[in-house]
Amino acid sequence: MPKTVLIVEDNELNMKLFQDLLEAHGYQTVGTRNGIETLDLARKHRPDLILMDIQLPEVSGLEVTKWLKDDAELRTIPVVAVTAFAMKGDEERIREGGCEAYLSKPISVGKFLETVRHFLGQN
Amino acid sequence: MNLSVSVRDYLQSLVHASARHDPLLAARHSAFITPRILGGLTALAALPLYLGVRGVPGPLEVIAFAWLIAPIGAALVLSRTGREEPAYMLSSMALAGLAVAIAAMSGGAWSPVAIWLVVVPLEAALCASRRVVAAAATVALIGYAMLLCLGPDVLGLIPPPKNGSPLFSAVCAGSAIAYATMLALGAGSMTRTGNDLLISEEDRYRLLAAHMTDVITRHGRNGAVTFISPAAERVFGLDLRDLMGHGLFDRVHVADRPAFLSTIADTANDGKERAVEFRARRHVKGLFRGAEQHFLWVEMRCRPLDSAVKVASEDGLEVVAVMRDITERKEQEHIVEAARAEAEQANAAKSRFLATMSHELRTPLNAVIGFSEMLLHEEVMQLDDAKRREYARLIHESGNHLLSVVNLVLDMSKIESGNFVITPEPFALAGVVRDCCDLLTLKANDVGLDLVMRLPPDLPEMVADKRALKQVLLNLLSNAVKFTDRGGRVVVSAKSDAAHVTVTVQDTGIGIAAEDLSRLGDPFFQARDAYNRPYDGTGLGLSIVKGLVNLHGGTLTIESEVGAGTSVTIKLPIDCERRTPLSPAESAAIPLIPRLPAASLLPVSGASENQGKKRAYS
Repeated sequence: MPKTVLIVEDNELNMKLFQDLLEAHGYQTVGTRNGIETLDLARKHRPDLILMDIQLPEVSGLEVTKWLKDDAELRTIPVVAVTAFAMKGDEERIREGGCEAYLSKPISVGKFLETVRHFLGQN
Repeated sequence: MNLSVSVRDYLQSLVHASARHDPLLAARHSAFITPRILGGLTALAALPLYLGVRGVPGPLEVIAFAWLIAPIGAALVLSRTGREEPAYMLSSMALAGLAVAIAAMSGGAWSPVAIWLVVVPLEAALCASRRVVAAAATVALIGYAMLLCLGPDVLGLIPPPKNGSPLFSAVCAGSAIAYATMLALGAGSMTRTGNDLLISEEDRYRLLAAHMTDVITRHGRNGAVTFISPAAERVFGLDLRDLMGHGLFDRVHVADRPAFLSTIADTANDGKERAVEFRARRHVKGLFRGAEQHFLWVEMRCRPLDSAVKVASEDGLEVVAVMRDITERKEQEHIVEAARAEAEQANAAKSRFLATMSHELRTPLNAVIGFSEMLLHEEVMQLDDAKRREYARLIHESGNHLLSVVNLVLDMSKIESGNFVITPEPFALAGVVRDCCDLLTLKANDVGLDLVMRLPPDLPEMVADKRALKQVLLNLLSNAVKFTDRGGRVVVSAKSDAAHVTVTVQDTGIGIAAEDLSRLGDPFFQARDAYNRPYDGTGLGLSIVKGLVNLHGGTLTIESEVGAGTSVTIKLPIDCERRTPLSPAESAAIPLIPRLPAASLLPVSGASENQGKKRAYS
């Protein structure tokens, strides 16, 4: 049974990059460009990991993470922020917002896959 | 002349250092020293002449000469010690001694010389010390008592003068009267000197008060003014009597009154110095009621009245305050503060810009680096030809996007520094509008939007920078498309008159809140900050549009309503090289017009979905 990763990312190219990368390594992916849909998708697909962009239309990735962590059913799913916010203090603020890990864009493919494996218990 | 000046200077220099600082005291010392030195020296000078004429003097003459010279000693005592009492006592004793000695030889208590004893306390009176006067009177009385006890001619040195020798009596009485007159004149002169000094002191105070800009006041504990210095008239523009009592308090700005009163009351209570700054209304003549009032900034330093003069009452101490007009300083502070705030704002804008730029560059870089890394490890990724080609295309696309971001920043920086040069050329406006619409039609269709052109057939040719105009239109159109949801509509319309062309891009998108409208066009501004920015983009687009339109001598107008849509209008001269300049007010800023809901020009579509979203121009 392949592990499922939910990708929340509004940039089309980056969404494609993450999906291709994960699928090539045997993961199943579910994607959304929209933060508001995230909770419904998480309930429906029960992903093992969520990759969260922070700048999203309508509602920020941090807000969505808060909703996830406030939800008794969904709070156990690890959330990894993958974001282009990479100024001083961004990582701290994002981790404080409830994300289990933080990856800055542009990603290094090696580190990206390592982080994903780490949270999916395949290290 | 020179001699008298140098003698006077010498005599002045004999005044003791401790008396020199006080003009009245110095005058008194000088009045004591001068006649005694001069008299003594005259006597000394006369001695050889006297000896020459009279031959060897008798004992009476020796005593007389000794006593004439003695005042030099008293004068020197005052000159060396600066203490008047011993000097006067010496002088009194010398005078009394002389009188007693001569009287003893000329009839004792009945001698006419005894009258000189009366002069002794008179002389002492010039000292202005009661103790000295009393002592001198005592000396005179003792002298007279001695004469009484001894009887006439105790010493038997000279035969008693014939009773009632009129000449001797006349000489004695005359000289005593002359000396007493001299003393009286001296006393009169001292009084005049004192008065003159008092007047010049007062003049000095008046001069000081007239030219001092600080106001000095004296307050009761309740703040009421009991004294106010004349400078207040200039500072507050009112008569002093209008500032007495609560007159000053009434001029204090209402908001500053508690601080004003509590400062005075606290100082009165604990006796500690403190300062307060307050605003006070300045009276301006001819200002009618209700006109704008002129307020001064005043600094007031309060201290308790010296304990020597304090009025001990249950109300605590009286307070003395020095007030100074610090309006100019306050204005300076205000200017500095404004400059600081502006610099801080500029710094915040810069930081925001850096964060935004970092984000905007990292997003496409992620695709470039990610896809190229996948290509590098194509065996692991098991990429087929089609995938490889697709990835190369995506990298190319991202690279172009990065280039456009960089160009935007460069354009903005050129416009900001005034180095952007437009190259005007004649072209048909309709063609450019059509080209731009074509570029965005596909994207509009993708997101389910209607992109409608409404161009009149007679749209003229215009002269402008074609590339710049294209950039402006593409920017406005892509904004409109970006911020309008599925089912909405974007309308591009144009019209022209003799001198201008007007292009309007109208959408049914999310609109812009009134509070954000005023900041639109500030470089790097996007409605909403940081993580809550719902749309990507550098925030540079509209400021570049504004800059390019300004360079053509045109104007940019934005009308918007949240949830109902936005309409952006640019008005450009038909020939930017022969333009009629717009009025400064017209070209200075973007007119920004928040639309009231009732005035919405377009059908509201999807308003409920759009609530809570803000539009961010890029």
